[in-house]
Amino acid sequence: MSAVLQVSNLRKSFGGITAVDSVSFEVREGEILGIIGPNGSGKSTLFNCVLGQLLPNGGEVRVDGKPTTGMRPCDLNRLGVSRTFQLLQVFPQLSVRDNLILAGQEHQGSMVSRLIGRADAGLGGAADTMIEFFRLSHLSEEPAGLLSYGQQKLLDAAMAFMAGPRLVLLDEPAGGVNLTMQAYHAERKATFVVIEHQMEFVMALCTRVLVLAEGRIIAEGAPQAIRRDPAVIEAYLGH
Amino acid sequence: MNRLAVLAAAAAAVFAVTAPFLLKPFGIYLISMWAVLTIAAIGLNLTLGYAGQVSLAQGAFVGIGAYTVALLTQAGFPFSFAFVAAGILCFAVGWVLGYPALRVQHHYLAFVTLAFTTLIFLVLRNEEWLTGGIYGINGIARPAFFGWSTAKALDFYYFSLGMLAVLALATWWMLRSPWGRAFVALRENPIRALSLGLDTRRYTLMAFAIGSSLGGLSGALYAPLVQFIEPASFALGLSFNLLLMVIVGGSGYFFGPFIGALIAVLLPEWMRITQGYYLIVYAALVMVMMAFCPAGILGLAERALKAFAPRVKEAAP
Repeated sequence: MSAVLQVSNLRKSFGGITAVDSVSFEVREGEILGIIGPNGSGKSTLFNCVLGQLLPNGGEVRVDGKPTTGMRPCDLNRLGVSRTFQLLQVFPQLSVRDNLILAGQEHQGSMVSRLIGRADAGLGGAADTMIEFFRLSHLSEEPAGLLSYGQQKLLDAAMAFMAGPRLVLLDEPAGGVNLTMQAYHAERKATFVVIEHQMEFVMALCTRVLVLAEGRIIAEGAPQAIRRDPAVIEAYLGH
Repeated sequence: MNRLAVLAAAAAAVFAVTAPFLLKPFGIYLISMWAVLTIAAIGLNLTLGYAGQVSLAQGAFVGIGAYTVALLTQAGFPFSFAFVAAGILCFAVGWVLGYPALRVQHHYLAFVTLAFTTLIFLVLRNEEWLTGGIYGINGIARPAFFGWSTAKALDFYYFSLGMLAVLALATWWMLRSPWGRAFVALRENPIRALSLGLDTRRYTLMAFAIGSSLGGLSGALYAPLVQFIEPASFALGLSFNLLLMVIVGGSGYFFGPFIGALIAVLLPEWMRITQGYYLIVYAALVMVMMAFCPAGILGLAERALKAFAPRVKEAAP
């Protein structure tokens, strides 16, 4: 299996604090990689460095073998890398349907064709399918800001899937998203990296787990092995 | 847009076409001013209301457009050429002015654009060889097209109204395209937009450039309307006035600028019956309105519609 994502020696520090310290790992095609670790262990910073939201101080990121370190998030997204954020990120004044069309429109045509072409960028059908899949049909035309927290979380995940990405990074998806992730994984053979707190979720879904503590990888392996790893138990319970 | 909004827009259009027959020449001049300034306000509503980029430079772009048309037509170029040139020039200058917006936001951006407005005012006032300095430019001719002269007030009003219709329609088209969705995304959550593949840099510059271009086209009509331009007309006051139109009408509502401009142009005139106090009364009215409906008149209308008829979802797009 080839590596979809390769991270080598990635470092990020804020002032005197090193949030991500020489982290290296690979994500193989089709797997669901879980990243766990106590609060403040650098999981979200790692995501942000991989995805171009933050510029790392050192190290390299490659997507499909192509160096992407320092690439802007929008360019990375158009390479097929998609994400959700830890905190909810929908566009509250746009309708549910428009949120989804927005999430896919930049993958269609050019700036000019998006200006003079169809208002839905040809994505109306795809958006409706996605809305149905996530059981949001009755809310399709509502502004996303009026949805409940759980519904917004689903919409957030749906937006990450809208452009048909091959690599999806989910930062703490809530319960409802799991099933849809599984379904998408089964159908599209997409690759996932998931930051998660809930051990049950990690144990049930992930094919492999990385454990991060104080910015470093302290363990890596199958979920069952990770659970018994003394270093992991120490990191979670030792403080 | 729902049926109610379409109906209201149609009624307003009929009124705009028939209104001059009920008005004296000065009234026609005022509604012409409304049509012209609405174009600039639509531009600012695009930049500020939709894309969320604060700008206090719209008055300066009206000035650049007005001087471009005045200078080019007096140099012998046809009006249509000068009109297009004003739009293109303001697009280019607006694009460049958009760069600070990539680094700073909100009130910081307001100050950058405010400095730009002051700069343009100083250039217009001090570069006498080009602009005539404080004496301004006099005797700007009104254009004629295929034998139709717009020299008379009524003709010029219909010309301005026609241009407003064309430019408003073009803006509406853009706002319903994926670009419009991208502009709103820029306003609501630029970081998420970036992660969804939106080139936020390009869209921000576009929002500035197109908004500024509409300011320039408004100025290109302003010059032949008033026929005499001088630097003070395009100082900070006009930028604030245009900002007021957008906010009072309802920022981010398509028809907001139409209503805001109507109020900003007509209200001071109606208030003249209070003699020397009219500016005070006008200021007080604006303050009361902002305190009780910060979302502007259309924001208030939407709220009222929702309260009375829960099934009507939106008063405006």
